[in-house]
Amino acid sequence: MTDSDPVSGAGAGRARATEGEDETTNTSAAAHGGRWPYWLPVGVLFAGLVITGVLVWISASTYSNNEQRLLKLRARDAGALIAERLPVIQTPLASAAALADATDGDVTKFMRFIAPYMSDRKGTFASASLWRLGANQTGPLAVVGTPLVLASSPSRAEAFFAREARRSELGVIGLLGGQQPRLGYAFTSPGLTGRYVAYAESTIPASRRSRFQSTSSFTDLNYALYLGGSQRTEDLLVSDLKNLPLKGQTVSIPIPFGSNSFTFVVNARHPLVGAFPERLPWIIAIVGVLLSVGAALLTLRLVQRRAHAEELAHSLERAAEENRKLYSEQRTIAQTLQHALLPEALPKIDGVETGARYETGVEGVDIGGDWYDLIALDDRRLLLVVGDVSGRGVRAAATMASLRYAIRAYAAQNDPPAIILTKLSKLVNVGATGQLATILCALVDVEAHELTVTSAGHLPPLLISDGKGTFITGAVGVPIGVSTGATYTSTTVSTPRAATLLAFTDGLVERRGESIDTGLERLQHAATANHCALDDLLSRLLEELRHDGDDDTAIAGLRWLD
Amino acid sequence: MSFDLAEAGDNGLTVTISGELDITNVDALQEAVGSALEHHPRRLIIELSGLRFADSSAIALWVRWSTAAHEIELRHVSPILRRVIDTMGLGDTLNVKP
Repeated sequence: MTDSDPVSGAGAGRARATEGEDETTNTSAAAHGGRWPYWLPVGVLFAGLVITGVLVWISASTYSNNEQRLLKLRARDAGALIAERLPVIQTPLASAAALADATDGDVTKFMRFIAPYMSDRKGTFASASLWRLGANQTGPLAVVGTPLVLASSPSRAEAFFAREARRSELGVIGLLGGQQPRLGYAFTSPGLTGRYVAYAESTIPASRRSRFQSTSSFTDLNYALYLGGSQRTEDLLVSDLKNLPLKGQTVSIPIPFGSNSFTFVVNARHPLVGAFPERLPWIIAIVGVLLSVGAALLTLRLVQRRAHAEELAHSLERAAEENRKLYSEQRTIAQTLQHALLPEALPKIDGVETGARYETGVEGVDIGGDWYDLIALDDRRLLLVVGDVSGRGVRAAATMASLRYAIRAYAAQNDPPAIILTKLSKLVNVGATGQLATILCALVDVEAHELTVTSAGHLPPLLISDGKGTFITGAVGVPIGVSTGATYTSTTVSTPRAATLLAFTDGLVERRGESIDTGLERLQHAATANHCALDDLLSRLLEELRHDGDDDTAIAGLRWLD
Repeated sequence: MSFDLAEAGDNGLTVTISGELDITNVDALQEAVGSALEHHPRRLIIELSGLRFADSSAIALWVRWSTAAHEIELRHVSPILRRVIDTMGLGDTLNVKP
C-alpha cells in the first residue's frame, strides 16, 4: 500500500477507516475517497496545458503566416526596385554597341557617347570599354574611366566574350576580385558590320555593406543580395548586415537580370504585423499556464475540502451511530432498572384476580417515578398501591424505591393505609429535595368485600360493577413530601360481587390542554365498555387511552371472582 | 416558557410565568428563581394568567417554593390546572385564587 500509493493522505485515510470500523464497505469507500481526488487536479492541469498549447500553436502559426505573407509582399516590392536597375545598365551599353556597329567601331564616338554614364559624372559605370569580337584581339579598342579589372585576366575575358557573342541581352560577369570588387556587364551588337561588345564595370562597396536610404520605405527590412541562385558568401553583392545569412523568418526571391540573376533575401527588423500579434503566443502561453495551474490548485483545494467533508460526515455518522447505540443501551438499562423496582410476581389470593401494567414514556432515557405494588397481608387481605413521584431520573426512581419498600415495611406491621401514608410523609420533604409523591393506598378485604382507600393527592380509583364505573372520591390528603406533619384519613366502601378495582397514574388520563375530568370520563367509558378478563382489560386500556406516550403510566387492577 | 421576577412591597416577590411549564424546564426555572427564595420572602405571588400548560412537576415546584415563603398565592389559575391542584389535595397548600 505504501510504495504504490502516490498520496500519503490516501494511506492515512485507509488506516483510520480500518482501525475505526469493522465494516469492510466503509474501508473500501474511504480508500476510494482518498485516491480519486488527486487525479482530478492533475487532469485539470493537463487539460489546461493542452488547451493552452493548442491556442499558442494557432496564434503562433497565424502570426507566422501573416508575417510571411507580408514579408513576401515587401520583398517583391523591394525586388521590383532592383529589377528597375536593368534598363539603367542595359540601355547605354546596348546603345553604345549599336553605335559602334553603325560607325564600324568609331572609338571617338563611343567615348563621347558613354562619357555621361561614367561614375565620375554621377553615372553608373566605373569603367566602360569597347571590344571587337573575333579579330584575334587581346584588348579593348577603347577604355573610358578607371582601368578595367577584366583586362587583367585576359583568359576570363576571352571566355566571357565568347559566351556573350551568342547572346542578344545584357551579359553579367560574376564578381571581379581586387581591392574594389566589381560587377561587369556586357552587351553585344547584333553584328551588321562586325561584332562589337560594349563592356562596363561598376564598383561594389568593399565591405559589401550598404543600407537602404533612411528615407526609403524599406528601412524596416534587413536584406542581402546575391549574384546567381544561391546564397553563398562569395556570391554576396551587398547587404545591410555583417553577419550572414539572415536569421529568423526570411523570404528569398529570384530577380532575373540579363543573362544572370540575383537572389534577394529579406527579413523583418520588427514584426510587420505589429508587436502584439508577435507577443500574443507568449501572452497566451503565460496566461494559459497560470490559469491551468490556478484551476488545478483550486480543484485540488475543492477535492480536498470534499474529501475532508466526506471524512467528517463519516465520523459524524459513526458518532451518531454510537450515540444511538448508547442511547438505546441507556434506555434498556433504565427500563430494566424500572422493571426491577416493580414486583416480580403478583401475589395470589383466593377469590380475586390481580393484574398490573407499567409502560415507560417513549421519549428520553430517564426513569420515571411511577410504580404499583400489590402486597398480600394474609390469606384474605391485600394492599394495593399506586404511586407517582414527581420528576424523572435516578433520583425519582430512588425516592420511588424507598417509598415502595417503606410501604411494604409498614404494611408488614399491619398499619392501615392512613397510618402508612402519615408515616411516609415524614420520609420525604419537597423543600429539601424538590420532590413530592402522590400515592393511593387501598386495603382490600377479599372476603368482606370491603375497600379502605387513602389518597395522598392521587387520582381516585375506579370501581366497576355491573357495567357501571364509579370513582371512589373520598377525603384527599396532600401529596407525600408537602408537609412532614400531614395526616391522612381513609374512606371505606363495600364492593359489589364481581367488582373490579382499577388504580392508575396520571399518564392514563391526562392530556395537555384538557381537563382531568374529561380524561377520567374517557377511562370510565373505556373500562365499562370492555367485557373481558382483567389482564386483557388492562392491556386494552393502555392501548386505547395512552395518548402523548411521553409520560409513564402504571395501572394496577383487582377483580373479585365472586 | 418565560418568566419574570418582581419585588412586591413589604418583602414580597411576584413571579410571573407564561407559556408551558413542565418537566423539561422546571429545573431551569428553579435555578433562576431559587436564589430569590433563599431569603424567605414573606409573601410569594405566582402570577399564572399567561400560563398555557403545567404538569405535575410544575405543581411540585410551586409546593417547594411554598415551603420557602411564609405565604404563597397562585393567581389567575386556569380551571384545568385548578382541577389538577384540587385532585392532588393542594388547593389550600398553594392558596389558589381564580
